Amino acid sequence: MKNDISKSIWIGEQDLSEDKDFAAKVQEEFAPVSLVERLGDEGVASSLGGNRRDFLKFLGFGLGAATIAAGCDIPVKRAIPYVVKPDEIVPGVATYYASSYVRGGDYCSILVKTREGRPIKIEGNDLSPITHGGTSARVQASVLDLYDTHRFKHPLKEGRKIDWQNLDEEVGNAFGSAGSIRILSSTIISPAALKTIETMVGAYSNVEHIQYDSVSYAGLLDANEDSFGMRSIPDYHFDKAEVIVSFGADFLGTWISPVEYAKKYIINRRIKNLDNPMMSRHIQVETGMSLSGSNADNRIMVKPSEHGAAIAYLYTKIVGGSTSLALNEKAKMALDKVASQLKVAAGKSLVVAGSNDKSEQILINAINNTLGNYGNTITWDHTSMQRKGSDQALAKLVGEMNNGQVDALVIIDANPVYDSGHGEAFKMGMEKVKTTVACCLIPSETSIACQYVAATPHILESWGDAEPKKGHLSLIQPTIAPLFDTRQFEESLLTWSGEIKENLDDKSSYYEFLKSFWEAEVFPRQNKFASFNTFWDNCLHDGVFTIESDETAVANYSGNDQAALGMVSKPSNSDLEISFYESVPMGNGEFSSNPWLMEMPDPVLRTSWGNYLAVPVSFNGVNKFIGLNNLKDGDLVDVTIGDKVFSVPVMQQFGQMPGTVSLALGFGRREAGFAGTGIGADLNTSVQLNKGYRQYYHTNVMVTGTKGKEKYFSSVQYHHTFGVKAEDKKSGEIINADEAAAISATYGLVSQGYQGFLTDRSIIYNSNVNNLQDSLAHMHERREEAKHLNEQQIYNGYDELYTQGHHWGMHVDLNACIGCGACTVACMAENNVPVVGKREVSRHHEMTWLRIDRYYYGDAENPNTVYQPMMCQHCDNAPCENVCPVNATNHSTEGLNQMTYNRCVGTRYCANNCPYKVRRFNWSDYTTADIFPANQVPVNGEKIPYGADNLTRMVLNPDVTVRARGVIEKCSFCVQRIQEGKLLAKKEGRKLQDRDVRSACQTACPTGAITFGDMNNKEGQLSKKLDSPLNYIVLEEVNVRSSVNYSMKVNNRDENLYS
Amino acid sequence: MGAVVSSIREPLITGSKTYHQITEDLVSPTEKTPSVSWTLGFIVSVSLLLFGVFCILWTIWHGIGTWNLNRTVGWGWDITNFVWWIGIGHAGTLISAILLLFRQKWRTGVNRAAEAMTIFAVICAALFPGIHVGRAWVVFYFFPYPNTRGPLWPNFNSPLLWDLFAISTYFTVSLLFWYTGLVPDFATVRDRAKGFRKKVYNFLSFGWTGSAKHWQRWEALSLVLAGLATPLVLSVHTIVSFDFATSVIPGWHTTIFPPYFVAGAIFSGFAMVQTLMLVTRKVLKLEDYITIGHIESMNKVILVTGTIVGVAYLTELFVAWYSGYVYEQAAFFNRALGPYWWAYFGMMFCNVVSPQFFWSKKIRRSVIWTFFLSIVVNIGMWFERFVIIATTLARDYLPSSWSYYSPTWVEIGIYLGTLGLFFTCYLIFTRVAPVVAIAEIKHILKSSGDQYAKGYKAAQQEASRIESVK
Repeated sequence: MKNDISKSIWIGEQDLSEDKDFAAKVQEEFAPVSLVERLGDEGVASSLGGNRRDFLKFLGFGLGAATIAAGCDIPVKRAIPYVVKPDEIVPGVATYYASSYVRGGDYCSILVKTREGRPIKIEGNDLSPITHGGTSARVQASVLDLYDTHRFKHPLKEGRKIDWQNLDEEVGNAFGSAGSIRILSSTIISPAALKTIETMVGAYSNVEHIQYDSVSYAGLLDANEDSFGMRSIPDYHFDKAEVIVSFGADFLGTWISPVEYAKKYIINRRIKNLDNPMMSRHIQVETGMSLSGSNADNRIMVKPSEHGAAIAYLYTKIVGGSTSLALNEKAKMALDKVASQLKVAAGKSLVVAGSNDKSEQILINAINNTLGNYGNTITWDHTSMQRKGSDQALAKLVGEMNNGQVDALVIIDANPVYDSGHGEAFKMGMEKVKTTVACCLIPSETSIACQYVAATPHILESWGDAEPKKGHLSLIQPTIAPLFDTRQFEESLLTWSGEIKENLDDKSSYYEFLKSFWEAEVFPRQNKFASFNTFWDNCLHDGVFTIESDETAVANYSGNDQAALGMVSKPSNSDLEISFYESVPMGNGEFSSNPWLMEMPDPVLRTSWGNYLAVPVSFNGVNKFIGLNNLKDGDLVDVTIGDKVFSVPVMQQFGQMPGTVSLALGFGRREAGFAGTGIGADLNTSVQLNKGYRQYYHTNVMVTGTKGKEKYFSSVQYHHTFGVKAEDKKSGEIINADEAAAISATYGLVSQGYQGFLTDRSIIYNSNVNNLQDSLAHMHERREEAKHLNEQQIYNGYDELYTQGHHWGMHVDLNACIGCGACTVACMAENNVPVVGKREVSRHHEMTWLRIDRYYYGDAENPNTVYQPMMCQHCDNAPCENVCPVNATNHSTEGLNQMTYNRCVGTRYCANNCPYKVRRFNWSDYTTADIFPANQVPVNGEKIPYGADNLTRMVLNPDVTVRARGVIEKCSFCVQRIQEGKLLAKKEGRKLQDRDVRSACQTACPTGAITFGDMNNKEGQLSKKLDSPLNYIVLEEVNVRSSVNYSMKVNNRDENLYS
Repeated sequence: MGAVVSSIREPLITGSKTYHQITEDLVSPTEKTPSVSWTLGFIVSVSLLLFGVFCILWTIWHGIGTWNLNRTVGWGWDITNFVWWIGIGHAGTLISAILLLFRQKWRTGVNRAAEAMTIFAVICAALFPGIHVGRAWVVFYFFPYPNTRGPLWPNFNSPLLWDLFAISTYFTVSLLFWYTGLVPDFATVRDRAKGFRKKVYNFLSFGWTGSAKHWQRWEALSLVLAGLATPLVLSVHTIVSFDFATSVIPGWHTTIFPPYFVAGAIFSGFAMVQTLMLVTRKVLKLEDYITIGHIESMNKVILVTGTIVGVAYLTELFVAWYSGYVYEQAAFFNRALGPYWWAYFGMMFCNVVSPQFFWSKKIRRSVIWTFFLSIVVNIGMWFERFVIIATTLARDYLPSSWSYYSPTWVEIGIYLGTLGLFFTCYLIFTRVAPVVAIAEIKHILKSSGDQYAKGYKAAQQEASRIESVK
């Protein structure tokens, strides 16, 4: 090749310079040389002759070798039949293990249902003296986190994979040279885990353990330390209280231990004696409608900044003294009456507050003390350990970090960058810390900011213990081998502290530690069992153990409440205030990566996939409900909080204090898997410190201009009221505001003679406890009318057929239902109900088989609420059955309305004809089970549609068909459980009992509001419930012969409280 | 056809036609190359049809989720269109069957096109039950045939199954009736044709020779089919109305539906016949066969049925009020004054108010007015079905489940596609078959041709004389 300067096309510098070797190679490019010669080394090539056959030989050998080599290390992933079947596993039969659900300070004793070695469902543990078999939505949904595709699958260093040995070495070295080590965690209720932290304290110098709660309870804890010398939470006995006053504590939804409190609370809310009906009175003082507030008899509305003033006002009325703090007149008037009612019920009352202000909590302690509630409704025998966080300690840590005083930071199961209220400062501080290690399950804002991630297993893969309340111990046992290369944080700590030196691969070493810890520390505290092994086995079997103690713990009140009275914050005189609250499904973001909880509607707002600004709504006195600034549901607004602007959609909220708005915490996560990332607005950045305590409201807030509508307004309920009453401006009379709003003034004439719009519908019957007899008479009259109508028919029915064998039915106690939504998530888990995502929910395509309708009734300004779980009513004269052209839905001899998915063509005629609107159609391929691959609908823009991967599918219940697109589905009364129960009874040669068949919603319910059973079993629990005169059937006059009975909602509202 | 006609009746054929002229006028459109307007219309129709096909495939591939139906409103534009198209078909059957039995001679001018319209409308309608289902590929589960799935039979209690039988029967009888009428006309076309065209028409006319025996059998068959079709005019829409009437949903569950639906169907059907015929007579220059008298007769039917429909609407409202049943009251209250009030008032205006214009003879005999009002009525009848289906479902028993529904582009596309299908079929029909029944028109020429109706002219002159004297 010539060196031609004018050469216009050249490939490399060799091309331009006259490189002979290169020129030769270029010439050779297509030379007829055999592959073996070109690729193999010369000797081989010459000995084999180098032809096509040799190439194939090499290829064959190479492939085979690679296959064998690769095959050695691959774990078997697909199901294969057992060669030797383990004794405890019978294919097709579920095994239950007792364990505990612990997430931060949240606790629930659970039974884990496993099928063929894989956990698929969580049930409550009836043996627990704390939760009594109840669960919450969060507990029910926790099993899905196990199969989260975003979980850490191995330890990480700077976002790259690292193996445990290197991680331990590097972290150990860093700790060894660190001047100060801080361990930051959420509240840890495990005694053994705390012990592992102690080993760290022993092993390195200057180690400190700091606990904080994502929603702070520091004010309450510090107040208790001040008043009683104990930094803990006492035992609240909501069951012993006749008057319950809660200042913004959502004890049924989110406050400390809602499952436990709900269970106790409902005991006094049930009507036991119809002739002399009694129930407790619950008064909630709050800003927005909380789950507890919606269950309250009376609500007193105050602005968020007035909470302190309200507590102080009640304090002066009960304890004495005076306060100059301004409070709205209505609240004052009501609190006067509340005070006198509390005094009457002294010793049988309970006052709690959700405030995170120490002085306010001291006043609450003083009120309870004066009322003599300590020792009665509040005891110290089993103090709760479920919240231990300290705002001061957290703030100190952030300060230290930013001053460069922290060399190593271990963050355990916490997300301080997002939820500590110090977000930015914390993140900046972390950059100054030499070594940061996160021990966590799922990536979070914090874990991505850490250098090391010591991936932890899910709680269902872990060993552990818990002592949520003093003396109440629980064990956590794994129900599946760790799915990924993860290690419990306890074991990591033990490794780093040198407790575990050898056997790095032995994953059971924390188990040994736990067992010996229990042998040394717990076993001696009891005297029921003589040998440790029987004690251990028993605890493991039951999941819980209670250490009986004869002594009654007494704590003497010695609070400085007069000083506290002076410290209470002054209410702001701002026109608009915002209250931040923890929503029932989301917590403060801990649960936002869980699609089930994301899709679960907020029980009060009835919205999902995002936080919605609750704005007050009022009746204009003529014919309209008007929201704040004339805003309507779904309007997108700018909310300016301090100097930050959030764009959020609006939801009109009845019972929201005028001049305030509310917005839920826990959204706007920046790193929370596909479900939580980028959904909603993050308010933690607006949480301020007030006297060192995180304050969950803001007084500098503006709501400005609608920017149109929220694109996907994912609300599941559009009509919220059931005949709320308000004053007519003209006549001054109390009128049905719902009706007036429906019949607008323009059409006044047209609607003459129009009889009722909502109130006369036989959907909800409610009563005040004082006129229960009248309400019952009214309801019975209506039921008689319906029966009379139903007799005027030519269809005789087949009632006689259902008198033999089983006849399944259900009873829902509306008085016991608090609307928490545990049943709805349990139903999703049990029945493989798909998650559809924000867009589909906004198109009313949600798939829930069981929903909880929420209606407001009574005073439009300050209404009462009724929650109505609504599922297939399994009508014996079902309108859906006779219209199906292909017999896809039909009636079983046991009274079940059955759905045959294979037969369903998808005309949706049944759904149209269902008066209860409980049938759900698979509009798109929500389960990714379709034959058309193009139909998989992403839930929140994820690449692989949710549910399409094998990991997520492990959560599916193998007893329930996964429905494909184009078919109708609905509540089956958990027919798979019925079948299982019947088989069990048959095998044991006995009659079926109540316990054999319990529906998923029934077992999930913390208050026992749902009873499922055989209506023909006259001895059964259900038959006893069906005898109650409080019962009614929804839409009885339609004559569909529903199998679900509801019982009347009774409240104990004091109408005189506001006058 | 009886030959005795009152001499003062308005002639049904104008222009002093001879038999040959009639043949010439009616057969020639099938023999000429298509006009520009026809070609343009055909292109538009086929485009719409193709877009509809695309939307249907889109629906089947991606699922009903591409429509905006929801947990509360399970049927929307799909079933609205279904009922609307079925209703439109009814006029053809009424004209060909009931008017034949009643010896209404004016039917001969419009029956052929109306019957064709029936068939095409039923095809459009039948499409919707097939594609609105979630799993279109198992729609054969509807059919009761011995099968290997049990054998598993359909649910004979379901009104949807009754629909299947009603519509398939209706389609079969309508097709036979239409084709029977076409046989002698195809023979006429054949007799004028040459070459391959002649062979085709010879085949289509089943070798018709026009012998007396042929005519005798043809007349007998026509009568038999008319007898069969007559109950169908009443039964098909009755059964369609059962889809709603047998349900438990307030606003659907009413006994008034069968007569109300039948009247509505004839109402909308005649409106569609007017729309089609006014264009056809203009384009194909058939003013001599489809006279103002024909148009007026049909307008009278529209006036009567429109008023029946109006009475039905008012009866529904009255019964809702009188029943004392809150759900029924709320359903009708919501229809009129709820979020879909515009649909209700649209329906009321188009269906009850607009036909009242036809009390005026001038408007009745005005081509422009008739065309305009026929479109209005068609829109109104579409609204009626939408109001009954979507509005009712959107707010039924439980307030918690109330929702709102509006269609997606796919649903609108499918509707446009059926319009495309309908007009494509109709345009092809005008090219291959005589749009007016030649044989039947020739039957009445001697009794109703204007050159034979001298009495009418005299009466008209007398009337205008009296008018001028006044």
